[in-house]
Amino acid sequence: MQEDAAVLRGTKDGYRIILDDQASVKEIFTSLKKLLDSLQSQSEFSKPKTISFDIKTGSRLLSSENRSKIEKMFADSKSFQVHKISSDVITKEKSDQLLEEGNIHILDNIIRNGQQVEIQGDVLFLGKIHEGGKLIASGNIFVFGEVKGIVQAGVPNFENKMIIGDVHTAQQVRIGEQFEILDDTNTGKIHDGTVIYVNDLHVIDYAKVEDIKEINPKFFNQIGGIVNG
Amino acid sequence: MGKALVITSGKGGVGKTTSTANIGTALALMGKRVCLIDLDIGLRNLDVVLGLDNRIIYDIVDVASGRAKLAQALVKDKRFDDLLYLLPAAQNTDKTALNEQQVADIVNDLKPDFDYVLIDCPAGIEQGFLNAIAGADSAIIVTTPEISAVRDADRVVGLLEQHPLQEEPRLIINRIRQHMIDDGQSMDVDEITRHLGIDLLGIVYDDDDVIATSNKGEPVVLKTDNPAGQGYRDIARRLEGESVPLMQPKEEKKETAWQKLIGWFRKK
Repeated sequence: MQEDAAVLRGTKDGYRIILDDQASVKEIFTSLKKLLDSLQSQSEFSKPKTISFDIKTGSRLLSSENRSKIEKMFADSKSFQVHKISSDVITKEKSDQLLEEGNIHILDNIIRNGQQVEIQGDVLFLGKIHEGGKLIASGNIFVFGEVKGIVQAGVPNFENKMIIGDVHTAQQVRIGEQFEILDDTNTGKIHDGTVIYVNDLHVIDYAKVEDIKEINPKFFNQIGGIVNG
Repeated sequence: MGKALVITSGKGGVGKTTSTANIGTALALMGKRVCLIDLDIGLRNLDVVLGLDNRIIYDIVDVASGRAKLAQALVKDKRFDDLLYLLPAAQNTDKTALNEQQVADIVNDLKPDFDYVLIDCPAGIEQGFLNAIAGADSAIIVTTPEISAVRDADRVVGLLEQHPLQEEPRLIINRIRQHMIDDGQSMDVDEITRHLGIDLLGIVYDDDDVIATSNKGEPVVLKTDNPAGQGYRDIARRLEGESVPLMQPKEEKKETAWQKLIGWFRKK
């Protein structure tokens, strides 16, 4: 007989069930059922205690239907539960999305009154935003162009994102859910190389590029790159 | 309970937005609590004329769709200490984003808190117009002494007669150029009022300062010595029930060649 399609392994992090990615889904379910049943009978004599399992699917992506089927199997048993189901592979869609989020997008267009440009990830903005235009990004916004509209970083609610650059002519700056209206009282705080961020009190604040390490120590790691020497 | 007035014209560019901003400001100067609603969704301007464009966080579409509360969307004009508010239009959608019921609900929510709710109607007679008149108690028709503007005003008066509001519409004649009337090149105030057959609420003289002040985000009524500002202040007083005589045109001195000559000799 062929090797079991569902194999239990103990690791230092806990129990792990590995589902053979070469076996058919049907085989996996039969063999998983068998495994759970035998575990159930073994544990009947020991103290009742919930054990959670990591399930690895190898190079197979389970459909959400099959995932919930597996989750249900565990839910039906008294003492077992699924910690998480993970796979070595992702869909193209997901990978595109990850790329999109990790990329710095370079924009050099004019965002006119009433237009709204939404970007996943960071933006290097070289264009112009007219009064009434909006640039919205889930990541950071680096501005080299001229901003007379609204710039919003960290959408929908990432307050660790920043807006860097001279935006003193903007109507508003927004980060996550925080916003500030720019008028005579605060435009003086913004120059070339100003960093706009959300401080510990959840209020928009202004700093210099030199201060980024203090404000957000992780900022430089996330950009990555190879440094020689 | 306040009164909701819609400012409409049919034709574009006759000064609906300028009139809304100035009448609202004039009423606030008289100590009334005023809320201005911009219904020109997609092409909003009232915020710019009032100099409030950078303060907009939420707009009327956010309120209508439940994304924001009415109080959150109101933009306060700091110059008038709690008297003048603006409910801005949305900019990234169009007039069909709202329906009549939604606008009527918003206006009815505002009326108890304000003495006046002024609704700035978009040009045209489509959905935007229907939305604007839905919550209004009365209409103010703005026209200019131009045949095309008077034609469109006539059409709007006709439409309002089919769906009458609580009170009869009243007329503002905007951008009057006295010298053109004197030369017989443009219709005069009486002629337009008689033609449209509705009560005259006021007249506003054409003045360069209207554009200059609007560019700075300060309505012209704030200039005490300006004739156009005077026109809008008179309109506000008439809305409050005062009887104010119609402004007389500035006497423009027309000197004959002979008088000029005498003047020249006198200088010597």
